[in-house]
Amino acid sequence: MKKSLMILVSLALICIIVFLAACSKDKIAEADPTEGMTKITEGYAAGASAKVQVYTKETSITTGFTKLYIALYDSATGNRIEDAHIQLTPMMDMGTMMHSSPYENPVSEQAVNHLFPCSVTFIMSSMGGTWTLKIQVHNHMNDKEGVLTIPVTVNEPVKSKQKSFTAAHNGAKYFISLIEPTAASSKVGINDMEIAIYKKASMMNWPADSSLSVILTPEMPTMGHGSPNNVNPVHIGNGHYKGKVNFTMTGFWRLNLDFMSGTAVADTTQYFDVEF
Amino acid sequence: MAGFSQTQQPAIIEDTTRIVELREVTITSTQKTAKQQLINFFKANSSVTLEEILSRLPEISLLRRGSYGMEPSIRSFTGGQINVLVDGMRIHGACADKMDPATIYIEPINLENLQVQTAITGFMSGSAIGGTVNMKMAEPDFLNVNKITGLISSGYQTAAKSFYESARLNYSTGKWAFRMSGTYRNNKNYRSGGGDIIDFSQYEKVNYSISAKYQHTLYTYFKADLLGDDGWNIGYPALPMDVGYAAARIGSLSMHRENPSKSLYKWQVKIYANKIDHSMDDTKRPNVPMHMDMPGWSKTYGAYTEAELKINQKQRLLLRADGSSTFLKASMTMYQPGELPMYMLTWPDNRKNQSGISAAWLLQIDSTLKLQVTGRTDFISYKLVSQEAKDQVSIFGYPSANRKDLLKNISAVISKKISQKIKVSASIAYVERMPTASELYGFYLFNSNDGYDYIGNPKLKIEKSLQADLSVIYNWKNNRVQLSYFYSSLFDYLTGTINSSFSTMTIGAKGVKEFINIPNASVSGVEGSVVLKPAPAIDVVSTVRYTAGKDNKGNSLPLIAPLKNTTSIRYQPKNFSVQLEAEAASKQGHINIEAGEDVTTGYSLLHIRFGYNTMILNNTIELQGGVENIFDRKYHEHLDWGNISRPGRNVYIQFRVYL
Repeated sequence: MKKSLMILVSLALICIIVFLAACSKDKIAEADPTEGMTKITEGYAAGASAKVQVYTKETSITTGFTKLYIALYDSATGNRIEDAHIQLTPMMDMGTMMHSSPYENPVSEQAVNHLFPCSVTFIMSSMGGTWTLKIQVHNHMNDKEGVLTIPVTVNEPVKSKQKSFTAAHNGAKYFISLIEPTAASSKVGINDMEIAIYKKASMMNWPADSSLSVILTPEMPTMGHGSPNNVNPVHIGNGHYKGKVNFTMTGFWRLNLDFMSGTAVADTTQYFDVEF
Repeated sequence: MAGFSQTQQPAIIEDTTRIVELREVTITSTQKTAKQQLINFFKANSSVTLEEILSRLPEISLLRRGSYGMEPSIRSFTGGQINVLVDGMRIHGACADKMDPATIYIEPINLENLQVQTAITGFMSGSAIGGTVNMKMAEPDFLNVNKITGLISSGYQTAAKSFYESARLNYSTGKWAFRMSGTYRNNKNYRSGGGDIIDFSQYEKVNYSISAKYQHTLYTYFKADLLGDDGWNIGYPALPMDVGYAAARIGSLSMHRENPSKSLYKWQVKIYANKIDHSMDDTKRPNVPMHMDMPGWSKTYGAYTEAELKINQKQRLLLRADGSSTFLKASMTMYQPGELPMYMLTWPDNRKNQSGISAAWLLQIDSTLKLQVTGRTDFISYKLVSQEAKDQVSIFGYPSANRKDLLKNISAVISKKISQKIKVSASIAYVERMPTASELYGFYLFNSNDGYDYIGNPKLKIEKSLQADLSVIYNWKNNRVQLSYFYSSLFDYLTGTINSSFSTMTIGAKGVKEFINIPNASVSGVEGSVVLKPAPAIDVVSTVRYTAGKDNKGNSLPLIAPLKNTTSIRYQPKNFSVQLEAEAASKQGHINIEAGEDVTTGYSLLHIRFGYNTMILNNTIELQGGVENIFDRKYHEHLDWGNISRPGRNVYIQFRVYL
């Protein structure tokens, strides 16, 4: 008798706990998708009735491949716009001349987690002139179009993640950007390695390149050693090359990169430094 | 109590077990076997370290990296091939570079005896292919109720200008007994033969222990032991770094039951825990290319139970069940000014869980023939226990480095008394051992003997061995001659092989070696000992050993000691003794060049020792002294790393007062 009462009480307790746990789960508010990101600017895309906010995961924008996240709101209701076509145009005004730079428009017209991911590869810092980013928004909610042009301050990072070279095999100018690993993402172990390669076709045209092959040789210049079992980055689409880099310890690493076009050498002098 | 260890070792195992009594025998009723005749010699110099005592045994050689922290090797089996136990407890050094074999954390004053078992029965307390060294701790005694007894000892040695101070005290209330001991050693850089000072050979340490025993019934007692050992400023002349500190804490609780009238006549249960903190130091070295910190941690807890059963007049059974869990971690941080520190795990955080059972069945077939069959099985799991560790090991293409293994060991010993004087025993064993954490997970562990960085391999196979042992003992009056031959055929032998595609990590290293299994190797050897008593006051002891090792390609295995002989003659009329000791080793030309070895020349040494004791004010006073390496020979042994010369002429004096 006593035993069955105990069991009954225990079961009741378990039910209550489960019920409470289920309840509290439901009440959790949806996380802000821009949590932890830095807002670079906001403004209105006149004509599209859209408020535009531009975010980055970094604390500031630095030279090189920069992932941006655009949030759109209806300027009247304040509701999120989840369906829009966004077109970027980065521009550098150096006084005597102007040039654009590589960029990636949002892949989809549907927002991903309420945001439109895209990227701009700032090939130089704001030391050399003035960067602006033109954001053209076609708001599919009201089928209106508008434009916002924002100034962007691009700082030079401590360790460069943007390099360029004139290829030996065809004389073309290539711009390479380190996307991963970053100092923050690096760990002792296997790290994803990602770079983007763009070719300068003209001052205004910087297409992604898929023609080169990449040989990765990491080293610790201070110690005079490398690391084993690295995987050379290979093209995965849109000028992005992915591979693996192995760090056997923390500290200062140099990622040496050789670029080949078939069997012809394009360049063997490039490297990126990572310190973590 | 000194007789205790005798009953613990059933008569038949005697031939594969050697017990060295370290405790001064204060009771006269101690059993005296032929074996113990040899043993008395090792007590001759009471300032000796445990390592020095070990080195006198014919089965044992020591790998030397400095004047401290020598690694025992039983018949050329070492490291992960043997068990080094403290009172049956597992303990693992915390240095990834093997600077701290467990033997350094114990002082002779802590010990009652040393039990050395070769491969044939050495796996009884843990799967091993090379045997076991068990350091049996001294226990409090009930001999003098309500009276403090013990000894105070002080000594000095000239070679290293070293002081050695120690004391032990015992107190008993009848039901309770307590024992305390403490040791302090301070060694400066020693002087080698010819007068050269060996830099970075200094060390300093304290060791302290307390144990309490409670006699519950006539047959049962409980015991608690605590032992601490702290060493600092320990130099390793053969290595590029020294040790800043090494601290061990060892504790256990046990229950012992002994009732000769019952069929379960002996039973013991123990739980224990120990930890070691170890930190290397390069701040005292000149021309260090880059300062680094290399700490290591080891934590073990476990339990075991041992029972001895008398089935009938002719059969006995020894049983043991044990389990333990060991956590190891070691890291390295290098500092280059202006850069972020370079940090890595040299032992990625790992845990070894072990549980095993073993049994030995002893059968007295007739009055001259005895048989012992011993078996053990161990279930061992290894796993990496932090994400950091897993990330690091994955670099070498091992997404999962965890493993589980079942190890099997079995042996049979048959012993026949051919005549009153001659006894022959033959044994055969199949044994297995687990790869060590270094062999599985080691991450650029630098071996300064061969100059290579070593990388572990979690997929290694277990090492196996088939061994045979033949021994003949000839006894007459108080004299005894023993000759043993052993042959060990090893399978999946663990060694390092150069991987030239990997770049070295250590500045100045020659390359990178990976641990691999090679199909087979062999180790064989002979040992002989002669114990003579030509006159009541004269003892002669001589031991000789020779070992050879070959790999599957016929190359010599590394770290094999050459032919060595130690002969002592002692004259002891009453309370004065003088002992002359000769030590000689031949040249070792069977070397492994890939392992960084070179030819070691032979040497011969002569030592002389004196002892005197007398009573002053009801206390026994003992004075010991002597000269080691009388002719100041400059020499090193083949197993000494870096060809660092051993101490030259050393004059020592030791003064003891028994309370």
